[in-house]
Amino acid sequence: MTHLSMEALLSLREVGTEPGDATARAHLESCPGCQAELDRLHQRVARLKALPALRPTRDRWPQTAARVRAERRRRRFRTSGLIGLAAAASIALGVVVGRNGGVSVGEQEIHQAMERSQALESALSEFHPEDRILDGRTAGIAQALEDRIARVDRELEMAELLEHQTRDQQVLKLWRERVGLLDALVDVHVTRASNVGL
Amino acid sequence: MDSYLLANAESVVARARAGEEAALEELYRAFETPVYNLARRICRTTEDAEDVLQETFFEVCRSIGRYREEGSLWGWVRTIAASKALMRLRRNKYRDTDELQEDVTGYRREDTALRMDLEAALERLSETARAVVWLHDVEGYTHDEIAGMMGKTPSFSKSQLARAHQRLRRWLGEEVEV
Repeated sequence: MTHLSMEALLSLREVGTEPGDATARAHLESCPGCQAELDRLHQRVARLKALPALRPTRDRWPQTAARVRAERRRRRFRTSGLIGLAAAASIALGVVVGRNGGVSVGEQEIHQAMERSQALESALSEFHPEDRILDGRTAGIAQALEDRIARVDRELEMAELLEHQTRDQQVLKLWRERVGLLDALVDVHVTRASNVGL
Repeated sequence: MDSYLLANAESVVARARAGEEAALEELYRAFETPVYNLARRICRTTEDAEDVLQETFFEVCRSIGRYREEGSLWGWVRTIAASKALMRLRRNKYRDTDELQEDVTGYRREDTALRMDLEAALERLSETARAVVWLHDVEGYTHDEIAGMMGKTPSFSKSQLARAHQRLRRWLGEEVEV
């Protein structure tokens, strides 16, 4: 006598029926061995559900709250900072243009990188990435890129505290890195969207 | 479950959306244990589970504005926690084989006849198998949902569950001659 496989027994526990379920049920009704096996399966699942809840040994709220606060600061910086930096760049450009009749290469490049970054963020927001379900691998890649963008943003915040000359070089490097990462993130979402025909 | 874990969920969510840190902490305190429990059942170490706990609530705090109140609050938080825990498994790139588990825990083939308690048997399963067992049997996710979260097929989830139960049955000394 062939008994029901574990897969067949598990399938009998699922809501709805699958192909083969009727045959499996017919066998179950006439087989005490499989009935006992199904009972043991029910009991095992019940015991799993009854396992005591494991509790964290450390309070992780202080770290979580600190991270949330930092994220809020970063967001504020991204909004007001972009406007502020753009304004500052415009003023700087005005001063330099007025004085030299030209624009310093560093500032112009920073301005271009910022504009490119803003354009990519706009493109990204059009995909509504937060509302999309990604497969595990893509989600992992997107998460890693977002983490790196967040790190660059924190470094941009820090770079603002540097001396003028060093600051421009560092800020330009970071804005370029940010553009590269955003470019990759847009690629991830666009590729994913085209793969599923969205 | 929401009202059991958090009596005034609606007003807490509204305050959290407004950015009130005390409300975010109320959410954390309400769901801290079930989130940690889920993470610890899936992850290998307490450190990983604690990291998942933090990642989950960071995401909850960041995304609370996007919670649409269509399903339960716990269901929403739980899905974030499950995704973070599975992401942690992928990141750690555990060698996901039973042989490794046996190496790590010191079990040998001959031990399989010994009766284990359920906690030990669950711990002995591979990460993937344990995650599927926990998400399906305890948290109540369907194979389709698990497959979506893992980036695998529903058939993969079903076969993992079946193999895991065969092992649990053997390790728990439930095998009987029929």
